[in-house]
Amino acid sequence: MGLLAPLFLAGLVAVALPLWLHRLETQSSNREPFSSAMLLETADRQVHVRKKLKYLLLLSARIALLVMVVLAFAQPFLSRPPAMISATDAGTRVVLVDTSASMGAAGVFEQAIAEAERAIDEAPADALLQIIGAGRSLGIVGSLTNDKAAARASVRTLAPGELRGDYGEIMSAVERVAAGLPPPVSLHFVSDFQASAMPARFPDVIPAGVAGLTPRVVGTGEPFNWSVDYLRVSADGIDVGVSGIGDRERVGDVELVVDGVVIHAQGLSHSGHQNLRFDAPEWAAGESRVEFRINADDDLGADNAWYHVVDNAPPEPVPLITGDPAGLPVTYLSAALDSTGRYRVETRVAGEFDPRILSRHRWAVIDDAGYVDRQLETALTEFTGNGGNLLVFAGERAAARESLPVSGHRPTAASLRPADRFLAIGRIDTRHPVLAGTDGWQGVAVVRNLPIAELPGDEVLIRLSNNEPFLIERRLGGGRMLLVTGALDNRWNDLPVRPVFVSFMVEAARYLSGVGAIERTHTAGASLPLALADGSSGQVVDPDGNTVLSLADTTREQQVRLEKTGFYEVHTTEGRTLIAANVDSRESDLAKITQQVLDDWQASTGVQGVATGAGFTAEVPQTVPLWQWALMVLALVVIGESILGNMSFTPRDTERA
Amino acid sequence: MTPIPASRSTARDLLRPEVLASLKNLDLVARSVVEGLMIGLHRSPTFGFSQEFAEYRMYNEGDDPRFIDWNVYARTDRTYIKRFLGDTNSHLMILLDASASMGFGGPPVTKLRYAQFLAASLAFLAARQHDAVGCMVFDEEVRDYREPSTRSGRLQGVLHCLDSATAATGTKFDRPFDKFREQVTRRGLVAVISDFYCDTEDLLEGVRPLAWQGQDVVLFQVLDPRELDPEFRQNVLLEDLETGEAIEVDPRFMKEDYPQRIRGHVDSLRTAAAGIGADHVLVQTGDSLDRALREYLMFRQRRK
Repeated sequence: MGLLAPLFLAGLVAVALPLWLHRLETQSSNREPFSSAMLLETADRQVHVRKKLKYLLLLSARIALLVMVVLAFAQPFLSRPPAMISATDAGTRVVLVDTSASMGAAGVFEQAIAEAERAIDEAPADALLQIIGAGRSLGIVGSLTNDKAAARASVRTLAPGELRGDYGEIMSAVERVAAGLPPPVSLHFVSDFQASAMPARFPDVIPAGVAGLTPRVVGTGEPFNWSVDYLRVSADGIDVGVSGIGDRERVGDVELVVDGVVIHAQGLSHSGHQNLRFDAPEWAAGESRVEFRINADDDLGADNAWYHVVDNAPPEPVPLITGDPAGLPVTYLSAALDSTGRYRVETRVAGEFDPRILSRHRWAVIDDAGYVDRQLETALTEFTGNGGNLLVFAGERAAARESLPVSGHRPTAASLRPADRFLAIGRIDTRHPVLAGTDGWQGVAVVRNLPIAELPGDEVLIRLSNNEPFLIERRLGGGRMLLVTGALDNRWNDLPVRPVFVSFMVEAARYLSGVGAIERTHTAGASLPLALADGSSGQVVDPDGNTVLSLADTTREQQVRLEKTGFYEVHTTEGRTLIAANVDSRESDLAKITQQVLDDWQASTGVQGVATGAGFTAEVPQTVPLWQWALMVLALVVIGESILGNMSFTPRDTERA
Repeated sequence: MTPIPASRSTARDLLRPEVLASLKNLDLVARSVVEGLMIGLHRSPTFGFSQEFAEYRMYNEGDDPRFIDWNVYARTDRTYIKRFLGDTNSHLMILLDASASMGFGGPPVTKLRYAQFLAASLAFLAARQHDAVGCMVFDEEVRDYREPSTRSGRLQGVLHCLDSATAATGTKFDRPFDKFREQVTRRGLVAVISDFYCDTEDLLEGVRPLAWQGQDVVLFQVLDPRELDPEFRQNVLLEDLETGEAIEVDPRFMKEDYPQRIRGHVDSLRTAAAGIGADHVLVQTGDSLDRALREYLMFRQRRK
């Protein structure tokens, strides 16, 4: 015998309450002080003894009541020796129920439950039963059993989800499950058999190790469904694509909701694909929740809404420390960063720069390391030590110094090559986040660079064709520095005028600012990466307002699966980010696979790789839950306690004349 | 005597236990009781209780010089003592039982509290008579003792001794009576205030030597009305306050037999007391205090 929730046993301390109350009661019950017993005579009939016994019985009932309540919460169970299940001639019947989003169509899942129960009832008496729910992944419900009632109870716990099902992935998982079941394994698949759920290769739906497939098709009526195909937000407005299939006479209404306020509503006049355009509202600063809803009495409700996030956050200011505010480097850097819409360059002259400003920024750019004087170098060292990041270019002034500020790299010699002997980019570390999304480095021509001696701990991301470093990453305290050994003018190289420069700056900005590239719109079932630059994670709140991660996982979980549609809130050290999750549009297509494909699927299953059941045994743990019995005893004790309490209760003032 | 400017009914109210229970100060209780009593007595020629002049007599050695009439001495050059009605220069010794059984009763007052009121009133009344007043509080042992005296402030000491008595343990009469005999040799009045839950013969063993010593003994038996006529509707477990013994009693017994037993006990005590020349007064805690005080005064009158 064991307890599933033994911590509830702490509730047994409540037993002290009736003990204490009865102690008081027995002390005072029917007991009167009297001057002297000298003249008294003991009664022939001893009533108080019986009353005391009655009180003890009542006390026992109350203690039993509390114990039963505690036991019911503690969920006791009885462990029996594991039952050895041997393969029988009938083998195992796997009842696989599709729980993908399309199964949520009106009346379909009820049909599926009924069909699954029929599959259980029709199983041979000695067959073992295994119930499995199949959505985005398999979910084994209940244990392997030969009890049909238990199997039916397991089926009734299933419910349709909001994720897409793929028959190829489902059958692949079924193969792995079937390998551990007593053969022969017969598969009864209850599904709507959507054509869109079929994999690209037909052989992927043939599970090895399964003796036979019995498709049980549900939802055979004419489908009628509206769905949202896309929603795009631009400066011109909001474009929404909707599709309707089925009965053309039936129409619905649509609503465009921004931050909970309906800003547009109109009717849908006909089915088929439609493009709807709405005027964009005056977006509020920060993030806005945009939701498009179709209010139609169609078969599938899960795809009648589309969620989108509009980020209207103001651009993040980035200090650009330079010696020449009118120089070309400033122009190139400003143009590249401004093009992202996320950053705004604030040009600061090195000699007039107030280092205290650095504390307000996560990263900064220096177009020529040679402009950094001693005071500024001290401030920058402190800035990086506290987690700040730097993007530093080498220029004419840097080449004249003995060592570069902050990092301490020492130039070996200032190289200036003839115009016809430029260097190309030699090797690029494309695994690095800064370079992973960039393309076009091979066309960059480097006429001049600043050769420097590498230091221990340097990570060279780009090397020139002569093997000299061109881009170095170096950790400095809690922060990091990206050092480009070239200047930002067209005399040293042509990088600033190459398209790759913009993408490099965008990725570098994203990397150095610490803001991960979190996509705002996802498909339900996708994994949301939470990894940040410093390796910490965050908390995710699902559309129902529940936290997804446990407290321990908030510091180690690096990705979260989006199981529901709606708006997720991702809380990280950088603040809150809204994520929209929408149902996979393939689930909206309720068209079924053809009967020919279904026949082929059924015929192809069981042809190869079917094991025999000879000698197969499996241990099935046997546990009998006892909490229902505890509740039953509790009910009896409550009745008994009420009767005893009523019998024992006599108002004190009626005892005395 | 200056009449108290209050209605008669108001003055009588002062003798009721429930009114006295609201007075925390025992001195105030005693004053209220005696003043209330005196209003009633003023109209009675029988008792003659007042500070009215009665006679002169020659001063003898041992008399209190405070009562010498110096005006007569000035005129006659002889010392005379001025005597008043009711002034007998006797001693009053109050023996108060503070055993646990005296804690029974109420509301408004327990037997002990009522006994304290009674004792204090007696003491106050006696002090006004210029009697020497002493007291002894006892249970199984003598817990407090104040020897009789007429000295100024003695009354306050007696009242404090009475007021501080609390119901505690059992009762034994032999030790307090033995001590009393050792301490007090002069004749006087002895008021024993108790519920007398004891064997009558044992009590008489203690009282008899006092009577032989020439003491006038009054036994004030204080009982709660619920002790004389208890009523219970069902079986009840009665716990002896002194011994802790619990006895389950039948309501019919308590209604029919027990009153006869308690009255038999009271009667046997009265008869036994009369046999040795002592007086017995039964007072119930619901009664006003004047009855007990009248008994005292009548007893005192008889002594004269």
